[in-house]
Amino acid sequence: MVVFLVRRTALFAASLFAASVLIFLLLQLLSGDMAQVIAGVQATPAQVASLRHELGTDRPLAVQYATWVGGVLAGDFGTSALSGVSVSAELGEKLTVTAPLVAVAMLLSVLVAVPLGVLAAIAHRRRLGVVISVGSQLGIALPTLWVGLVLAIVFAVWLRWLPAQGFPTAGWEQPVRAVRSLVLPAVTLALAEGAVLLRFVRSATLGVLNQDFLRTARATGLTRTGALLRHGLRNAALPVVSILGLQVAALLVGAVVVEAVFALPGVGQMLLTDVGNRDLVKVQGEVLLLTGAVLTIGFLVDVAHRLIDPRLRVSR
Amino acid sequence: MIRVRRLVPLLLAAAVLAVACSGAESGGAGAPAADTTLDVRLVLEPTSLDITSVAGAAISQLLLDNVYEGLLTRDAGGAIVPLLAQDVSTSPDGLTYTFRLHDGLTFADGSPLTSADVVWSYRNVIAPESKNPNKADFAAVTGVDAPDPHTVVITLSRRDANFTYALTDRAAAVLKQGTDPATLAGTANGSGPFVIRSWQRGSSITLARNEHYWGQPANLSGVVLHYIPDTTAANNAQLTGETDVETGPDPTLLSQFQGPDFTVAEGVTSDKFVLGINNGRGPLADVRVRHAIRQAIDKDGLIRVALAGKGQRIGSGVAPTDPWFDAGLTSIDPYDPPAAKALLAETGFGSGLDLTLVVPNIYSARIGEYVASQLGQVGIRVRYEPVEFATWLDRVYTKADYDLSIVDHAEARDIGNYANPDYYWRYSDAQVQQWADQASTAASDAERDGLYRQVARKISEDAVSDWLYSPTSLVVLRAGVTGFPTRETNSRLDLAQVTASAAQ
Repeated sequence: MVVFLVRRTALFAASLFAASVLIFLLLQLLSGDMAQVIAGVQATPAQVASLRHELGTDRPLAVQYATWVGGVLAGDFGTSALSGVSVSAELGEKLTVTAPLVAVAMLLSVLVAVPLGVLAAIAHRRRLGVVISVGSQLGIALPTLWVGLVLAIVFAVWLRWLPAQGFPTAGWEQPVRAVRSLVLPAVTLALAEGAVLLRFVRSATLGVLNQDFLRTARATGLTRTGALLRHGLRNAALPVVSILGLQVAALLVGAVVVEAVFALPGVGQMLLTDVGNRDLVKVQGEVLLLTGAVLTIGFLVDVAHRLIDPRLRVSR
Repeated sequence: MIRVRRLVPLLLAAAVLAVACSGAESGGAGAPAADTTLDVRLVLEPTSLDITSVAGAAISQLLLDNVYEGLLTRDAGGAIVPLLAQDVSTSPDGLTYTFRLHDGLTFADGSPLTSADVVWSYRNVIAPESKNPNKADFAAVTGVDAPDPHTVVITLSRRDANFTYALTDRAAAVLKQGTDPATLAGTANGSGPFVIRSWQRGSSITLARNEHYWGQPANLSGVVLHYIPDTTAANNAQLTGETDVETGPDPTLLSQFQGPDFTVAEGVTSDKFVLGINNGRGPLADVRVRHAIRQAIDKDGLIRVALAGKGQRIGSGVAPTDPWFDAGLTSIDPYDPPAAKALLAETGFGSGLDLTLVVPNIYSARIGEYVASQLGQVGIRVRYEPVEFATWLDRVYTKADYDLSIVDHAEARDIGNYANPDYYWRYSDAQVQQWADQASTAASDAERDGLYRQVARKISEDAVSDWLYSPTSLVVLRAGVTGFPTRETNSRLDLAQVTASAAQ
């Protein structure tokens, strides 16, 4: 286990370094720059040039990269030249919206997808199984944007149960309002992700149902469902845990759309705005931190795998 | 929900009491409450609060008149009127302006505002190292002086017919002498009727009444400006009462606001949706091709399709808010596809022409698609490319790497751009440049307006651009909100006069 952890940590660090180079270079491909955005359409070219010099965007790329990574290694993710706010502070503030949104969406999708997915597998080729299957296909096919719009119209505009958009101006200091404003977005996000997850749970369970060890278990007198619950689910859990790790990344991407539909001041909205303003110092820092989060989850998933599956612990 | 239901009778009782106490003034239709806050939907959030060095209409929309004030301002009808100055006198040669400030002017922190603050602010604008994006507005200014605490004298190097207008705009905002520019991005200490209470980035900015205001205090105790870019989310917010006012609604969705609960107020704007044509490039350098493009586009149809009729044709680069607007110019290059085809055949492009149309993706896709389809019908094959605004700034505005482009020129009185040969239209005409030059130094408004009208006619006859429309400014108000501005609301939004009775 120690060897595994050391090797896995080295891989983690190498991935993060590669990501930092990729993020930096890809963002340089964007046309347009922040100096132009700040100066607008009435400033003189000389004003734009002096702004560029002040922002440091006229320096060689290698120097800009080294400055950035040097700062990151010292724990400083930089400061936006536009707002004057530090990247980590603003990301932390936005995460108070996006983290609960993604966490609740994740929880909802697991709570719905796992039992329904197992049920769909057990009821495979029966009416119930088909209904769940078709429902999940529909959930995958519907665009998140559309689902969000419909939910907002039904539950906010018609029924007036929940707010249609926004987040309370005082944030979590108004906990009831904050929770209420996250309900519809979380459900929207969970529907899309839950449908995908359900398909994976169903196929993983189906895969296990045909295994020899389940036939053996049934030969000892267990029912099909009993054998599945006792011996099968642990095996089916392996691919599902891997998928869950990937789902977090997918949820963050989905959050960009959902936050736009519900006008939530979260990470997705912030990234869109910062890219629009060509606030590259901010975008780099934010994307690197998010990449780090996803890589960390990948790390945890691998560790979880070894805990769930004793065979992995022996073989390496 | 429950809290609101309990509140309503209470508020009604309070309103009745207020009416009873104030005597016969109110007609009983719900008196304006003194401590009302208003929730307003705006579209674009400012990137910074720094009015001295960051461009963008969102900054002036939020801060001008509300937080920062200039020597002059514009009233609800667009007329230039005094603000910090109580009067202005101009020397006969038009080179010296003398302003007498009001007595008792103060900043929001309670400190007095004197002529020294005006001098400090305006000298920063004209300084060689100035980062002010509107520095050009003060190009003629050579000196700003304060002979005494109540007097400001501004000297110009030449007559400037647009100078008093510039003094109503953002270059003229007065800041407290010695303010550290580094603090301006996130805080503001202006002399206006409101102060910035809080900024929840990505979501809202809260204004609170300036209790030290030197003039008539604001009616509202506070205003929450909700930045909601998505039109559907904004409509839902207005329908559910989460906002009291919705600016910039999608004009094709206004039917939702019929009935007694809402009113839709209309006003004029300085916005001009311009189909920019790269006059320096290939076939577009031929004036006949440009005329063909103009004649191929049915502007009335576009206004119906994209704006549900809420806009007007302008015929040149002048908005209906500009004093030199001439509605007669819309008769130049009328919609006539056969004539457009004939012109193209004459220039040797009868078999067709391939052009790119680069459009910032902040505008409705309906506009670009409509124009592309109209041009397609006369044989101009258009490759429609929606891009981010920053990309547009770089590619079209700075490098002129485009054939056609659609952008909203929101600045008022900007016809002078057509006299700049380096502007992204790449149009150079000595006559236009001479007229524009004479207009900017004209001795009277009448002379100036006449010259600008000549420029407007000439650029239309030269088909420098096509001018698609000037949209109507729309504001959806819930019943009980009055005094909300309707003119040029994208760049200026004076909230001090707004009143609101309690929500139903």
